Amino acid sequence: MKARIIDSVDVLKIVDLLRAQGREVIAPFRGRGNDTYFDTVTSENRDDVQIHFANPSYPPKRFVLPHIEQMMKFHRSDGKIDMEPTYEHPPRAIFGIRSCDVAGISHLDRFYLDREFRDIYYEKRRQNLFLVNVVCTDPARDIGENCFCMCADTGPAAREHFDLQLMDLGMGQFMAVAGTTAGQTLFNEPIFRKGTPAHVERRREILGEARKRFKTTTSWFPATVRYVSQDKILDSTWEEIGKRCMECGGCTYVCPACTCFTVSDRQTGPDEAERVRIWDSCALAGFTRMAGGFNPRRAVHDRRNRRFFRKLAHYFIQRELSMACVGCGRCVSVCHGDIGMPSVVEMLRRATAERALPSAAEKASPSVAEVDKNEPVRQ
Amino acid sequence: MAQKLTTCTFCGAGCGIYLETHDNRVIGAYPSRSHPTNAGRLCVRGWHVHEVASSPDRLKKPLLRQNGELHEVTWDEAIDFVAARLLEIRRRHGPDAIAFLSSPRCSNEESYLMQKLARTIVGTNNVGHGAGVYCNNSINVLLDMLGIAASTNSINDLANSEVIMVDGVDLNRQLPTIAGWVIRAKLNGARLIVIDMRRHRVAENADLFLQIKPGTEVALYGAMAKVIVDRGLANLPFIKAHCDEYEAFLEYALSGDLQKSARACDVPAESIEAAAISFAKAGSAALLYSTGVESRGKQSIQAMVNLVLLTGQIGKKGAGLFPLTEQNNLQGVCDMGMLPDRLPGYLPVTDSAARAAFAKAWNAPIPAAPGLDADDVLNDRGQGRVKAVWLDRYDPISTASYGDTRCLGGCDLVVTQHLFRTGLTEFAHVVLPTTAFGEERVSFTSTERRIQLAEKVIDPAAGPMAAWEQLVRLAQAMGADWKYSSSEQIMEEIAGVIPFYSGVSYENLAREYGRQWPCTKERPLGTPRLFEDGPDDRKFSFAPLHYASPLSTVSSDYPLMLVFGHSLYYWHQNVLINHSETLKREHRLLLLDYPGGFVEISTDDAEQLQIRDGQKIRLRAATGSAVSTARVTSEVRNGAIFVPYFVQQLRSQLIQENVNGSSLIPVRVERDPA
Repeated sequence: MKARIIDSVDVLKIVDLLRAQGREVIAPFRGRGNDTYFDTVTSENRDDVQIHFANPSYPPKRFVLPHIEQMMKFHRSDGKIDMEPTYEHPPRAIFGIRSCDVAGISHLDRFYLDREFRDIYYEKRRQNLFLVNVVCTDPARDIGENCFCMCADTGPAAREHFDLQLMDLGMGQFMAVAGTTAGQTLFNEPIFRKGTPAHVERRREILGEARKRFKTTTSWFPATVRYVSQDKILDSTWEEIGKRCMECGGCTYVCPACTCFTVSDRQTGPDEAERVRIWDSCALAGFTRMAGGFNPRRAVHDRRNRRFFRKLAHYFIQRELSMACVGCGRCVSVCHGDIGMPSVVEMLRRATAERALPSAAEKASPSVAEVDKNEPVRQ
Repeated sequence: MAQKLTTCTFCGAGCGIYLETHDNRVIGAYPSRSHPTNAGRLCVRGWHVHEVASSPDRLKKPLLRQNGELHEVTWDEAIDFVAARLLEIRRRHGPDAIAFLSSPRCSNEESYLMQKLARTIVGTNNVGHGAGVYCNNSINVLLDMLGIAASTNSINDLANSEVIMVDGVDLNRQLPTIAGWVIRAKLNGARLIVIDMRRHRVAENADLFLQIKPGTEVALYGAMAKVIVDRGLANLPFIKAHCDEYEAFLEYALSGDLQKSARACDVPAESIEAAAISFAKAGSAALLYSTGVESRGKQSIQAMVNLVLLTGQIGKKGAGLFPLTEQNNLQGVCDMGMLPDRLPGYLPVTDSAARAAFAKAWNAPIPAAPGLDADDVLNDRGQGRVKAVWLDRYDPISTASYGDTRCLGGCDLVVTQHLFRTGLTEFAHVVLPTTAFGEERVSFTSTERRIQLAEKVIDPAAGPMAAWEQLVRLAQAMGADWKYSSSEQIMEEIAGVIPFYSGVSYENLAREYGRQWPCTKERPLGTPRLFEDGPDDRKFSFAPLHYASPLSTVSSDYPLMLVFGHSLYYWHQNVLINHSETLKREHRLLLLDYPGGFVEISTDDAEQLQIRDGQKIRLRAATGSAVSTARVTSEVRNGAIFVPYFVQQLRSQLIQENVNGSSLIPVRVERDPA
C-alpha cells in the first residue's frame, strides 16, 4: 500500500479536495457537552471538523443502509399503478471514520453484495462512498471507555477496506495510506509528500503504544464463539441476560455489523404511495411474529439468545467471513441493562466455565460426573 | 444533513435525543451521550421518532362540519366559527357550559394559554388534562404532605440509592430509561424491592418481590410502618426537625399488624419485614410510583409518603420520592394549571389572594368555583350542563376508559386540535390541525422537574398551525387583546406568574440540558434535588390513616379481583404510535393475538377454572357482566385479573355507571359466555 506524509495543518484540506470532487463530505463535529456526531461539511462548519474525537453512537452504516429509506413510489391513474424505484446515492465521503466502523462496512458489504442476492440500493450507495479512515491513537480523545476493537481485531488501525487512512504521528505530521486506487489518486496533490523509514517506525511505535492504552472493556471471543457454536449455553444464562433487557432495540441499531430491516408500504396521497425500508431489530418481540400469530422468539431470553448466536456462532462467521462484532462498544453505551457484547461474553464464559467444574458431590461419585459430561449430539 | 439536539416527547423521562434531518424531513434519531437523564440511551419509542415524524397521514387543513360532513375551510373561517359559537353558548348557558381538555402531551405554552383563555375569556374553571383523577390524587396528597407535587430527586440520582423500592409501575414499558437506572443501580449493589401484583421485567430483577393482592397497599405500608417503629428504626431527629402530625401517625402505625397485613396482602410476613428494615436502615433509599395508575387511591399514596417521612429518606443523595409522570408533559401541564381547582403554580382557585394576584397579572377576573375535570366532563357528571368541549391533542374515545361517548355526542360544539384523524373526529364539529414534534419550538417539563426545549428542526407543511397560536387566534377572535408572537414570549409570561419558573427563559433552557425547577432568578441553574435543607417555609406532614375496610373485597360469589391498569404495550394508546411501522407492530403484538381485547389471568387460576389461553370468558360482577378473552400468563398473581387500560368497554359493562375510584371489581369467571 502506498504511504505519504502530510502536515497536520493540511489534513482538513483533504476535506476540501473531496468536496471539490463534487462529494458531500460527512465528518465529525462536536455537539452539546461531550456529544459528537457525523454531519455534512459546509463552508460554515468546515473549520469545526474534528479529527480526534469520541466515536458517536449513531453509526456511519446509515450512509450505506439508511435508518429509513424510500425504495419506490407508486402512482395510480386510470386504474393502472405505476411503480418507480427511487434511488438516492449522492457521491459521498466519510472523513474520520474509525477502524471499527470500516470493519463494519466491510461486514455489511459481504452481507449485501457478495452473496446470492445483490442489494441494489446498498450497492449504489456503497459505490459512491469514499472512506477516509482515521486511526485511533489518542487515549484521551479517541479511545473510549467502551472500546474493544482489539478483541475483535478490527483496530486501532484498519488493515484494509478504506480508501485513505490517516494516522497522527505527532510532531505536526500525519501518515496517509492509500487502500484503493481512488485513494491513491489523491496523492498527486502537493500536500502529500513521500515518507521515510523513520516515519514507518514512528507509526509502529505509536500503534504499539495505543494498543496498550485501551481502557477496561474486553471481550474474550474465542472461547465464547466455541461455547455458542457448540450450543453449550444454558437457558438459565439467557434468562439472566434477558431479565436485564429493556427491549429498546438500541444495540442492533447502533451496531455497525447489524443488517436487519423491515419494509413497509404507506399511502402518501389519494393516488400515491411509497415503499420504505427501515432498520428493524431482533431485540423486539414482534420481529419474528408470523402471520397467523406464531412467534418462535416471543420470550425476551429467546431473542437475546438469537442475537448472540447470530453475532458469534461459527456458522455465521464462516458465511460472512468475519465476526458480526467490530468491538466499537456502542452496544455498551446504549444499553440500559449493561448487556452489551462485553458483559454478555463475560456472562457466557463464566456460566459455561462454572458449569464445567465438577461439584463436590460429583467428585465423590465419578459415575455421575461421567453422565454429566456426555452431551447429546447436536447439529 | 443537519443534527439538532432536542427532547424526546414520549414519556416523562425527557431523554436528550438528536434528530437528523435532510431536505426538510427527519431521517434519523439517536441519543445524546452527555444528557444527564439518559446518558446515551433511548427506548424503543425514542429510536423510532424519525418514523413518526415523517408520517404522511397528517391533517393539513382545518375542517368544519357542514351538513353532517367535514369540509376543508380556512383558518379564519374555522376560528371565527368557533369563537362565535363559544360566545353564543356562553350567552345562553353560562361560562360553565364550556370545558377545555388537554392531553398530558401538550406543551407548557399551549397548556398555559388554554387555561388562561378558559379562565379569563370564557370565565370557567372547567379545565383538565386527560390523566385527571389518578394524577390529581397524587398532586393533592403531595401538596398536603410535602408542599411540592413532583419528584424530589433527579433520575440519575438513583445511581446513588442503596435501596430502591418500585411500587405499582411497569418501568420497562412506561419509563424504560428509568428502568435502566434502577437495573444498573442494582447491578452496582443496590437492593431492589418491587411491589406489584404483576411480575414485570424490573420485578424479575428484584431482591424482594412483594406480589401483593390488588388494593392492599395500605395494609402493606401499615405493616411496614409498624415494623419500623417497633424496631426503633424511625428517623426521629428528622421527624422532630421537619414533620408535623407524628403523634397521630404513630398511633396509627402502632395499630398495624404484620401478620394480619401479610394475610391481607398474601405475601410472607418476613418479606414485608425485610422490605421495611431495608428501607429504613439504608443510607439512602428511593421510592418510585406512578401518578397515573387509577387503581392507586389517595390513601395508598399517603401511605408511601408516610414511609418516606418516617425514615427520613428525602433530601439527600439517592434518597427521595419519585411520583413518576408517565406522559412527557404531565408534570408541565399540571404546573401550568390545567387543573379545575388550581391555578398555575398549584395555588387553589378557592384562595382569594391567589385569584387576586392572577387577576392583576392577567387583567381579568378569575372564576372562584372549582370546575369539572376531564373525567367529570366526559362521564357527564355535569349532567348535561356542558355544551361545548375543546380538546387539545386529546382523543378520549381511543385513549381512556371513556368508551362511553354520552357527553360528547350531546354537545353543541366539539373542537379538536390534533395531528391526525382520530376516534374523536367522528364527534367533532371543528378539526384544527396542529404542528408536530420537531416542527415547533416549545417546552415540556419531565418527571424530574426538568423544563426542556423541544426544538424546531423542520418546517411544517403549509396548513397546520401551532396549537398555542390557534389559542391566540381564538382569544383574539373572542375579543381579547392577546399579543404573543412566539412560544418564547409565552414562557416569559409563565416565568412572571409561576414563582418556581421565574428564572426560566428559552435562552437559559438552551444553554445546557434544560433546568430543573425551582429555577428562579436566585437559582438560575435550577434545583436537581429538593429539600436538601428540609422543607420550605413549612413542615412536612404525616397523614394518619384509618384502617377502613377496603372498598371492594372478594367473596365466594365473586372470588377474583379485577384490576384496571397500565400494561404491556400500553403506551398511552399514543396515536403517534400508529404511524410508525415498528412501534405499531410492537404495540399491536398482543392486540393481534387477541383482536377483541383481553384480560390477564394467572396460569394457576386458569388451570383451576379450566380456561385455556385465548378462550372467551364472561366476567360477572355484582353490578354487571362483560365478555372478554383470557390471556393466560404467569405474570399476573393468583386471585387477580388484570385488565389492560385499552379495553374500554369492560368497566362500563361491569359496573353500569362509572364510579370514581372503582378500579377494583370483584368478579367471577364463567367459562361459556352465551
